[in-house]
Amino acid sequence: MENILKYAQESLLKAGAEKVQCSLQENEKDELNVAAGEVKLFRTTFDNNLTLTGILKNKKGSTTINSLDKKSIDVAVKQVIELAESSQPDKANDISEKQPVKEFSSGPENPDLDKMYFRMTEFVEYTKETYPDTILEEVIFDFTKRSSCFINSNGVDFTSKNNLYTFVAMFTTKKGKKTSSFNYAVSLTKDLDKPFKDLASFDRLMKQSSEQTETHPIPEKFVGNVIVTPDCMDDIIGSITGYLYDYPLITKTSVYKDKLDEVIADSRLTLHSKPLSEELVSNYFVTSDGYETQNSTIIDKGVLKTFLLGLYGSKKTGLPKAVNQGGCYIIEPGDVSYDEIIKSTEKGILLCRFSGGNPSDNGDFSGVAKNSYYIENGEIKYPISETMVSGNLVEMLKNITQISSERVNSGYHLYPWIKFDGLTVSGKGEDAGLKTSLSVSPV
Amino acid sequence: MILKDLKQYSKYFTEYTELRVQENRNIRITMVNGDIMSNSRTAVGGISARVYKDGFWGFASNPELDEETIKQVIESATKNAIFLSSKEKRKKTELPNRIANSENDFTTTKPKKSQKEMIEFMQKIDEYIKEKFTKLTSRTVVVACLDMEKSLLTSDGSTSYSMIPRTISYVTMTVEKDGQPYELYEVYGGFGQFEDNFEDPKELFPKLDEQYEHLIKKSEGVYAETGVHDCILDADLAGILAHEAIGHTTEADIVKGGSVAGDFLNQKVASEMVTLVDFANHYDGKLCPVPLFIDDEGTKGEDAVIIENGVLKKYMNNKEYADHFNMELTGNARAYGFYDEPLVRMRNTAILPGKSKLEDMIASIENGYYLMKSSNGQADSTSEFMFGIVQGYEIKNGKLGKAIKDTTINGVAFDVLKTVTMVSDDMVWGCGGMCGKKQLIPVGMGGPAVKCKINIGGK
Repeated sequence: MENILKYAQESLLKAGAEKVQCSLQENEKDELNVAAGEVKLFRTTFDNNLTLTGILKNKKGSTTINSLDKKSIDVAVKQVIELAESSQPDKANDISEKQPVKEFSSGPENPDLDKMYFRMTEFVEYTKETYPDTILEEVIFDFTKRSSCFINSNGVDFTSKNNLYTFVAMFTTKKGKKTSSFNYAVSLTKDLDKPFKDLASFDRLMKQSSEQTETHPIPEKFVGNVIVTPDCMDDIIGSITGYLYDYPLITKTSVYKDKLDEVIADSRLTLHSKPLSEELVSNYFVTSDGYETQNSTIIDKGVLKTFLLGLYGSKKTGLPKAVNQGGCYIIEPGDVSYDEIIKSTEKGILLCRFSGGNPSDNGDFSGVAKNSYYIENGEIKYPISETMVSGNLVEMLKNITQISSERVNSGYHLYPWIKFDGLTVSGKGEDAGLKTSLSVSPV
Repeated sequence: MILKDLKQYSKYFTEYTELRVQENRNIRITMVNGDIMSNSRTAVGGISARVYKDGFWGFASNPELDEETIKQVIESATKNAIFLSSKEKRKKTELPNRIANSENDFTTTKPKKSQKEMIEFMQKIDEYIKEKFTKLTSRTVVVACLDMEKSLLTSDGSTSYSMIPRTISYVTMTVEKDGQPYELYEVYGGFGQFEDNFEDPKELFPKLDEQYEHLIKKSEGVYAETGVHDCILDADLAGILAHEAIGHTTEADIVKGGSVAGDFLNQKVASEMVTLVDFANHYDGKLCPVPLFIDDEGTKGEDAVIIENGVLKKYMNNKEYADHFNMELTGNARAYGFYDEPLVRMRNTAILPGKSKLEDMIASIENGYYLMKSSNGQADSTSEFMFGIVQGYEIKNGKLGKAIKDTTINGVAFDVLKTVTMVSDDMVWGCGGMCGKKQLIPVGMGGPAVKCKINIGGK
């Protein structure tokens, strides 16, 4: 890998590039698939990605190929120069400065294929026995070996290996002609020591699925409590952190553009991005613009501490560059149990999956509460149908009332249950002419 | 040009085998407020083999294309199928087929434009927006080109070569009103290479004027009122309804996985005005946005009439599911990259036009909404769907009223389609999005305007 990158870098410099960065990623994947409850497919795939970037006179061009022979690289080098020459100058185009040469490694060297097959069939059998009406629509279980090299003309030279197992299960329950909404869970691991039913949220969500063929509408529209589960939290956190990247800050459309070091959330909320955390397995060591990553705290007791700007975004906006590129999110636990959160809820919903439109630039959002439950007088009453949740993300973060002490680790994030107040929960109006018999899951 | 003739490698086949060579070539240029934020080209290609044995599939792929690697890829896929079939015995079935051989190359016949010329085109668009729409706080112009070039050989005798291009330009405008940002994007272009879609920037100017006008109205607009309303879904939304809400639930793998459509075959699921088809390659004598002539299992692409006059008639399938459901092959097996196995995917899904005029449809509504553009959509095994709405208007006493701010609509597709009372007599195809289902893939969506009752999120 090193030789290919050095050849490409030298060729780009010889061809006239003033600053160069080159990265090569090799992926090798073994993957087992279940379809409709049956083991169906076994895949073995290899792929490469060689990305060459050249800057000349502040103009940038970039090419990605996956043929690594000399002729293909020569063509790519020529193309990078042509792309850069055809572009326009921008002083924000740059490459990372020199850092110590480093190698990083994470995860096992090779997959245990027989054990993969065992864990997969064990999960299929467990589902059939424990939840006989639940269909495993799809299970994708892979081991990916990812080797990466990154060099640039400032002398940066990083090598990393990230190997891990990923298990994704998607399921639906069908009882007679009654069908639940689909749901899914994901777990990333470095070993196969535990059955997947005991990891992440698989068992809890399949149990919920088995009872979600009988759903009911909420009794009335209300403004109140929404308890977001760890499985649904990524939708909220993804939307919030989406405002912190290059594009919304460069275009000044981010709701947080002027909020660095200001309170943006309830003081109970602390959100980290920890790509180096030993609690998570989806580690990454080098950013796509060539910096060694560090862990960071994005929101510290409600205060926004960093944006997620890359090198280009930082130069373009004059704001500080982030020490990582987000992801690997960890939310600090609260001091109340999940049970106490439910017991203290007079009226609300437990939001287990959210199917929503992209939030507006101002943070307004609305969407459907899927696989979710109605809560009244401190008790979970029943799974709900056709219920919409709407609010504003910016306000929502300020209206956190409780955070659970329990958390769920999926391997790529670690989230608690969080109760938000002030969100609008609405069902389907009965006075608008549609039949009102849609009180259970539509069949 | 990729390796076109694969027949010489059939000597390595020992079971039912599909051998595919593919290269996807992308161009992406992003211009933000006049600055070029990205300027890249990508070419990713290689070979894959998929092998079927006793009810199990093996798959392997590699970016190298020398004979030894191709042999190894076929052997590895065969070994994977044997590995699974050695663990469990299943009934041996022979896959059905509809053998076909064809070549379809849609490379432009016009002189190729360089990246520099594409950037100059974008600059002219950007300058027009900057000079004419001075209230904007930001503007983004993106050009994204995708050429998918494939060769296929199957052990039962199908061969195919295709080069299917798509070129899209996204234009996003943002304006501030009372300290709040409002954004509206529009997709231009579609099937074909850059040269076929974008000849003269001036051709886009009237459309940009319209986009700006809708944005200003949106920034001055109101929140939609929560609840079920009489609505007109314009073509863009009828297309996404056809794709997300009905299309996905009637893909045979989703049906086998528990979709509610499994209970509805040959039953009335929609108003008699609704006929919904997944077109393979042509509609009304013209090419569809994503034409498919032979799918990635070597099956000749046929139109799949899913709902005919309100009755559910068929599922989209591949060889294995056609056999399982005892249905005719539809040719819906598609793979995105060389490293992907074919899945049951839609091609060009549309509700067919009716007889009404859009203006009469609007005039027929006392209090409702005309919903025009969607940001995203999701479907469920229950056929419950959700679409983000980014452009729409109130209808008051039969006339268009104020614009509405971003909102979300939802409903159960098989219920909503029963409330359809008018379908317009025109048909518009869209081709801007990528459908996600394990792999991303370009799809076409189309439709007329449809009048129905639908639930709006509002505020």
